Amino acid sequence: MMHVLANMIKKELKDASRDKRSVMAGLYYALGTPIVMCLLFMVLIKQLSSPEQLLISIENSQAAPDLVRYLSTAEINHADSDNSELKQITIIIDKDYNSHISQGMPATITLIADNSNDKLQSSIRRIERALQAYSSDIASLRLIARGIDPRVVSPIQVQVQDQATVDSKGGMIIGLAIFTMIYSVFISGMNLAIDTSAGERERNSLTLLLSHPISTWQIVLSKVITVTLFAMAGLLLILLVSKFAYALVPWQELGFSVNISLPFILLMLLIGFPVALLASSLQLFVSFLAKSFKEAQSYLTMVLIVPMAISMMSSYNIAPKVLEWVPVSGQQQALMAFVKGHDIGLTQLALSSSLTLIIAIVLIYGMQKMLKSEKVIFGL
Amino acid sequence: MLEVKNLAKRIGEVQALDNLSFSAQDGHITGLLGPNGAGKTTCLRTLFGLLTPDSGQAEIDGIDIALDPIAAKQQLGLFPDPFGLYERLTPREYISYFASLNGLSNTQADQATQAVIDKLMLKDIADRRCKGFSQGQRMKTALAQAIVHNPRNIVLDEPTRGLDVMSTRVLRGMLSDLRDQGHCVLFSSHVMQEVASLCDHVIVMAKGKVVATGSPDELCQQAGQTSLEEAFITLIGTDEGIAA
Repeated sequence: MMHVLANMIKKELKDASRDKRSVMAGLYYALGTPIVMCLLFMVLIKQLSSPEQLLISIENSQAAPDLVRYLSTAEINHADSDNSELKQITIIIDKDYNSHISQGMPATITLIADNSNDKLQSSIRRIERALQAYSSDIASLRLIARGIDPRVVSPIQVQVQDQATVDSKGGMIIGLAIFTMIYSVFISGMNLAIDTSAGERERNSLTLLLSHPISTWQIVLSKVITVTLFAMAGLLLILLVSKFAYALVPWQELGFSVNISLPFILLMLLIGFPVALLASSLQLFVSFLAKSFKEAQSYLTMVLIVPMAISMMSSYNIAPKVLEWVPVSGQQQALMAFVKGHDIGLTQLALSSSLTLIIAIVLIYGMQKMLKSEKVIFGL
Repeated sequence: MLEVKNLAKRIGEVQALDNLSFSAQDGHITGLLGPNGAGKTTCLRTLFGLLTPDSGQAEIDGIDIALDPIAAKQQLGLFPDPFGLYERLTPREYISYFASLNGLSNTQADQATQAVIDKLMLKDIADRRCKGFSQGQRMKTALAQAIVHNPRNIVLDEPTRGLDVMSTRVLRGMLSDLRDQGHCVLFSSHVMQEVASLCDHVIVMAKGKVVATGSPDELCQQAGQTSLEEAFITLIGTDEGIAA
């Protein structure tokens, strides 16, 4: 019986590898996604961080040495135009600055920058904040000099506490990267799953297969194993591509790094296997229920939103605690913890992996039952 | 030997099989003749265990398909309608795959495949992928699949449809050979000439029931007609069945 099953898997693999559509679907995703993600991360990192040393042009700086010193304590300094780190932001100190300050008149400082340039936003805000702070410092001194408590002019004091840490910002990025890898397990085998079930029926070979002296267990297992192998191949490919692609992202600017190390690859493959088994049995189950290839495609697009949503949710730090125990997201949380260097919740991982396997087995059992039903065989 | 006893099967609103009983003997070509919609395909699908009858049994060499489907199917070869080829496989891969499904070892399967390729003169196309095959090439591939494991019983569903004269002759020759070797051959058809020229025994079906059985000559005598076609019309009664 094992010999028959082995032959069936061999045939399914041969058939699948000659199906360009099935092979390409997995390949495009595994090759393309890490590259797209890397470009995305590079842009994101630029947005998230304003450089520690902000270099801008300050014109007529000798007119306001005190202000320049103040900005310097806030790590905002003048640099010459040939400096590559120089941001396209210019502060012009008015020629009458000194006389206006000494007379207690408003002194003009012109801030020139392209406000539509998203990359400059955080730097512009930073300079505005520094100038505002300097301005109110001077105002306070003036009030004190006139015998007035400066607090009377600031009736409300707003205190903002930003709780975002580098780790939580990074958590989202790591979550996103791992999400794309887990999702590859669902994408890589999908077209094959449809082809080998709904497609097999559409081409009328399912009834012929069922007319031969083999059990429906053998049919279902050969298909599940083939689709799982495809899914695992897609996962391995995306891991290898990611290993090289993610090395190009300047993670150090965020204070952590996403390193696709060999232990991570091995852990991902190990943890990914039950997920691949679940993905393939789920896709085959749904496709066997569909009447045609097209119908299976539309069903699967809807069904795959569920694991995608679960996986997406656990990419964010706001994920509810219960997701640690749920299939797919449990595994994802464990992988995220591994990348961040935290301890992996082994109990949670064991439970979510077991649940994943149990669901897959139930689906496989359901399919071999289904293939005995004439409604399913003939798509009635 | 194939035998169905009191088969009944309702599909939706239609009583597709209505207390159907007949048998097909070894060493005979048995024709299942009936108008479109008579229940021929339903009957064959029940014989293969793809459909479960509401009542009655289907037996292959005395094994009830419902009780021991695997053992029963081991004695069967099926030439289905439609063929159900794997377009991305070559006939050699396709035939040998089904041979192995019937329990042949890889070497046995390869040998049996080569033998059937020689027998059906499939050599030219044996290592080309099935995509784009002509109807005749498809028929030969499907027939090779049905007989590669040398089953005792061979069932063919509408085997001559869409075939040219040459292909039909190959098929006829094959079926006669199989009969002479003592196999039990059962095929369904609605083509009178086919049945008349090939069959030792004819089962006339209409509306899920057996209307008459016998050799083509006996059927003509029963109906008091000279040609099988006229006899067929007389036997199934009105032309109601034909219109269905």
